[in-house]
Amino acid sequence: MTKTTALIFGHNKYAYEIIKNVKDKYNSIKVYSLDKHDKKEGLYDVELFDLSDEWEEIENSVDIENSIAFCALEDPSENIFLTISLRSSFENLTIITIASNKENSDKLKMAGATKVIPIVETTSDIIANVLEKPVSNKVLHSILYEESDLKIAQIKIDDTSHFKDEKLKSIDWTRYNGILVLSVMHEDMQSEFIYSNKAKEHVIKSGDILVIVGYEKDIQEFENLIGSKRYVDWSHWSR
Amino acid sequence: MIKSLILDAAYFLNTSKKYQSFKNFFYNILENDKCKYKRYIDIFMIILIFISVGVLIREVKHHVNDYLMFFSNYVISIIFFIEYMLRLWVNSSVSEIIVKRAEHDTFLLREVNLYKAFKKILKVKLTYMASPKAIIDLLAILPFFHELRLLRIFILFRVFKLFRYAKSLQILSSVLATKKFEFFTLGIFAFVVIFISSVLIYVMEGNRADSPVDTLFEALYWAIVTISTVGYGDIVPVTSEGRFVSIIVIIAGIAVLAFTTSLFVSAFTEKLEEIKEIKTIENISKLKKFYLICGYENVAREVARKLSKSGHNIIVLDEDVQRVQNAKLDGYTTLNYNPGNKESYEKLNIDMQKQLKGVLCLRENDVDNVYAALTIRSLNKDVMILSLLNNDANRNKLEFVGINKIVYPQELVGLITKELVGKPVAFEVIHELRSEDSDVIIDEIGITKRIVENFPTVGDLNNKHYSIVLLGVYKHEKDRFYFNPLDSTLLEAGDYLLVIGYQVYIKEFEKYLHTRVHDD
Repeated sequence: MTKTTALIFGHNKYAYEIIKNVKDKYNSIKVYSLDKHDKKEGLYDVELFDLSDEWEEIENSVDIENSIAFCALEDPSENIFLTISLRSSFENLTIITIASNKENSDKLKMAGATKVIPIVETTSDIIANVLEKPVSNKVLHSILYEESDLKIAQIKIDDTSHFKDEKLKSIDWTRYNGILVLSVMHEDMQSEFIYSNKAKEHVIKSGDILVIVGYEKDIQEFENLIGSKRYVDWSHWSR
Repeated sequence: MIKSLILDAAYFLNTSKKYQSFKNFFYNILENDKCKYKRYIDIFMIILIFISVGVLIREVKHHVNDYLMFFSNYVISIIFFIEYMLRLWVNSSVSEIIVKRAEHDTFLLREVNLYKAFKKILKVKLTYMASPKAIIDLLAILPFFHELRLLRIFILFRVFKLFRYAKSLQILSSVLATKKFEFFTLGIFAFVVIFISSVLIYVMEGNRADSPVDTLFEALYWAIVTISTVGYGDIVPVTSEGRFVSIIVIIAGIAVLAFTTSLFVSAFTEKLEEIKEIKTIENISKLKKFYLICGYENVAREVARKLSKSGHNIIVLDEDVQRVQNAKLDGYTTLNYNPGNKESYEKLNIDMQKQLKGVLCLRENDVDNVYAALTIRSLNKDVMILSLLNNDANRNKLEFVGINKIVYPQELVGLITKELVGKPVAFEVIHELRSEDSDVIIDEIGITKRIVENFPTVGDLNNKHYSIVLLGVYKHEKDRFYFNPLDSTLLEAGDYLLVIGYQVYIKEFEKYLHTRVHDD
């Protein structure tokens, strides 16, 4: 289900970059800050919140069921407290948080974050990739962040799909020009590489998700051919 | 007439590039530790020293082959003589002294005073000749006159020459030199104790028929043997007075020994870091390729871990003692140098062009990163510099100093979030491919001429047989990526294949590409 509201907690460089990148994907962006000074300075309407909030105000003004929360407070302990606070009030809310290091990342997962972005690890991963695999890094970067026409997409198999009940290894992928299938995600939330033994023997069922790479035109053609569409569902995130 | 000839010759030599480079060559191989050929000269000299000492020992009880004797006495002595003269020559420049004097006098509108110039030359050369190392060099030549039996003992002076060639001996002497005053004090104290006690024992026991102390020399010998706590027991005092002197000498001996030991220990403890640093720099200069990390904080720590895990050599520079300590504890070669200081790189003694794979400025402070990058750029225009950007407002400054790649963590978080909310499953797949712990990875395989000969087209690669997805071909020359290329796509040397698969299969596939011989 597509979320309609993004709740950004924090008013800093991280929050700014998050807003910049996700503002087109949501109908409304709500920014919350702990500091009353941010209310005057911010580009967005900044609302104040308190870590001891019971979130009644937010609950009344926002459709929590269709919202996604980004916890980007710079103080790790405050970020963890915020995550716990949100999770205790909203069991099904998707919470994405930033973490300064591995230790905080683990704590945030324990606190109930749906997805944690560990800043140090992510940055160092990128640096190591730039140095060791410059070509693949460049290509993956352009695919991921849509700097080129090449895109990565996830296609959900539904009841009407052509592939339903077919074995993965029996499908002739060459029929679908311009498309590369990288992996399949099963009902059990496990993603399998297309050439793994488990994936080869897998019988495609309704609800499986295929991760494909291709040009937009080819992806659209693929969607039409197999009768399935691109899909985003945060319920796939295991907590 | 002679004066003008001398001046002309001095000016000629001082400005002659050929002469200067010739002299420079000898200076480098004899005195410049940074010169790679010096090591070979040093080893050669060390071998000569051991040959002559070996001959000296053999000669005591056996006949030594005449040729070897000739080699030891004459050839080695002549080589050492040449070395001595060369060192005397390169030590200072005669022509430069004359030219300086001439220019000084001309500037003051005086007649050139060559006498003063010669006086200075003499002073400079004599100062060199009077230095301990030069004296040892001279003494090592003396065995040339081996007919004088006494001079043969000078062969042992050749052993002292080892101080010139063995770096560890140089370090030892430099460490001990730092405690010159303390050693001098100790020497005076020991001398006074030995002198008084030997005179006393001689006075007390010299006239006694039952005492083994007959001469002053024997008294001196006894005093030294006792003060050193060796105590052979061949000479012992027999009178009560003599034994009293012994007690004093023994107590003084303990003090001397304790003082000497503590001096050595403190000298080495104080110099330990310096010695380690010298050793570290020596090891770094031997490395073929490495990454230089400037600043060791959170991101640097992770990057170093990842690169080191992939087999890359890592050198860390940081000015902060605590961070240096952290890097050392993590097992990296680390120097407590300021990365923004030119002198740090001069001390490092590395060839940036050849040895550096890249410089990573990873301080969580843009000012320090810019400063370090600027320093490195001023030393080398081509080396790859990657820097962490902590505040987007400083991006243009980092670009201005010529940093090749800028990594801005906040921006990364934004991009990742965008992808996460749009395609969570796809993002995880890509993230997994990039992860170091994943079985399935994305890798790049460089296409060589040999591969092109055996696999001219993409269709020939047979990657599916190895359960490998060929994501595409990157054409280096065109800087273009061809996604999912057709089987008929031609491969060229310099291209990169971007493949996704199990690590182990990719390795097998790569091996297959490199070893397969086309069976036409």
